[in-house]
Amino acid sequence: MPSNIYIVDDDESVCRALKTLLMTFGFEVKTFNSARSFFDAVPNDEPGCLLLDIHMPGLDGWAAQKILVGSGSKRPVIFISAEKQDNAASRALKVGAMGFLQKPVNAQTLVDLINAAPEDTNVTVNSQ
Amino acid sequence: MKKITRNNLEEKFRQQTGELEIRDGQLKQGVDREKLGADREKLAEEQIHIRTKAMEAALDGIFIVDAKKPNFPIIYANASFQGLIGYAENEIIGKNYFLFYGSDADSRIVEEIKQTIRQGKSFYGEMLNVRKNGKKFWSLLRIAPIRDTNGVTTHYVGIQTDCTLMKQRDLEIEEQREDLLHVTRVGKLAEFVSSLAHEISQPLTAILSYAQAAQRMFAGREPQLQEILQYIISDDQRATEVIRRLRALLKKTKPTFEPLDINVLINDTVALIMTHITVRNKVVEFELDSGLPLIQGDRIQLQQVLLNLISNSLEAMEGSSDSHELLIRTSRKDTDTIMVEVQDSGCGIPAENMKKLFVHFFTSKPDGLGMGLSISRSIVEAHGGRLEVKNNPDRGATFYFTIPVNMKNANEQS
Repeated sequence: MPSNIYIVDDDESVCRALKTLLMTFGFEVKTFNSARSFFDAVPNDEPGCLLLDIHMPGLDGWAAQKILVGSGSKRPVIFISAEKQDNAASRALKVGAMGFLQKPVNAQTLVDLINAAPEDTNVTVNSQ
Repeated sequence: MKKITRNNLEEKFRQQTGELEIRDGQLKQGVDREKLGADREKLAEEQIHIRTKAMEAALDGIFIVDAKKPNFPIIYANASFQGLIGYAENEIIGKNYFLFYGSDADSRIVEEIKQTIRQGKSFYGEMLNVRKNGKKFWSLLRIAPIRDTNGVTTHYVGIQTDCTLMKQRDLEIEEQREDLLHVTRVGKLAEFVSSLAHEISQPLTAILSYAQAAQRMFAGREPQLQEILQYIISDDQRATEVIRRLRALLKKTKPTFEPLDINVLINDTVALIMTHITVRNKVVEFELDSGLPLIQGDRIQLQQVLLNLISNSLEAMEGSSDSHELLIRTSRKDTDTIMVEVQDSGCGIPAENMKKLFVHFFTSKPDGLGMGLSISRSIVEAHGGRLEVKNNPDRGATFYFTIPVNMKNANEQS
């Protein structure tokens, strides 16, 4: 179970709220308003699970995941989006993420999925 | 009642022309009156003969009404007119023209014709008629007065043409346009709901997370606060459910992809708004590459994009009398991409608007909704292409989009 969580969402208030929520579960949470600022601040070897918004200006969630995977990262990623996308869940698995959650996210569902993630980022994520 | 037949009419014409000849002849002096008279008479007879033949042979229905008689009887009807309304000559001659409209004729138009000819004016219009056999047809009708030397209307000559085919085509185009408008409206609403849903889901996410965080922070304490937090959570979920249902209701219809010829699609789309273009005194020019492979796309959605870009261009040229040219160009960008450009010579796009152009609800028009370009871009992207814009070096702007070639088809072609 990872103790670090990174949240990338262009919506400031969503970042703050999720951070507040996850902190009550004892996680260390850092938030970023764009994928670019996350890449700049957090190197691949720093462990932690990434909550990645899909719909963002500039680099969207899918593009960000592509870059992440391309850079050799094994970081567990959970996509979250307010957009309803029919195939988002299967697409998320296909691109090597842990899963996809539709906003608003229920606390327990989110935490269960985070806890399912391997702690060590060097462990290969099962991408089915 | 004296029955007037074609021969009678011909005789009458001949008489009148003969009288003219005589008067004409009296004016000339020092000429061999008799010889000239005979020549002229022969010539006039030939002319009358050929004119009568021409009227008879004309493919338009032609009829003559006697305006001096109170019931306006038809005194002549050519073969095409008989064929058009399906009545024989002896059923037509002597009858009032209005008897042949059929019961389905628009009474307002009939009244308009009556008024017009009573005033001795010409009538021009379209109306729905019924043949003797009950079959309906659209006719284009022109009625003009024939006046004598004193300016008194003695007859009317009417020309009636079956324009059912043209009318049907017009109606078909009108129907297609309606369909497209409907799809566009539904598309706009769906896009609107979708972006609204997204905007509302964000704060709902925050509210839910805060409430659940607070619940955990006060776990086992403050039962009243716990109850309130639970209410916040369930109302948040209720709002989420409303949005979910709204989304399901206006679910965007899945595009149906089929192989399409982009040039044909462009021509079809322009045909839909040709009237719109013409009345605005604008001209569309085409530079369509005829050697393009087929693309894979949704016909209606791509028409929507084209229509949107063309309408925008027309609006950009509105109010400027010297910019009236719209250019639509297709070309092959590379092996697997086709490029479509819509270039106007209008006012162009101010630099500060360039970035916001494709954003939902951004509009520079006083009555715009700001959905057209954002929808167009999402359609093009769903087709695997890109929609972009640039200002032209001289004037106006060019919107251009790419569409991938239908690879299966392209391989078959090459």
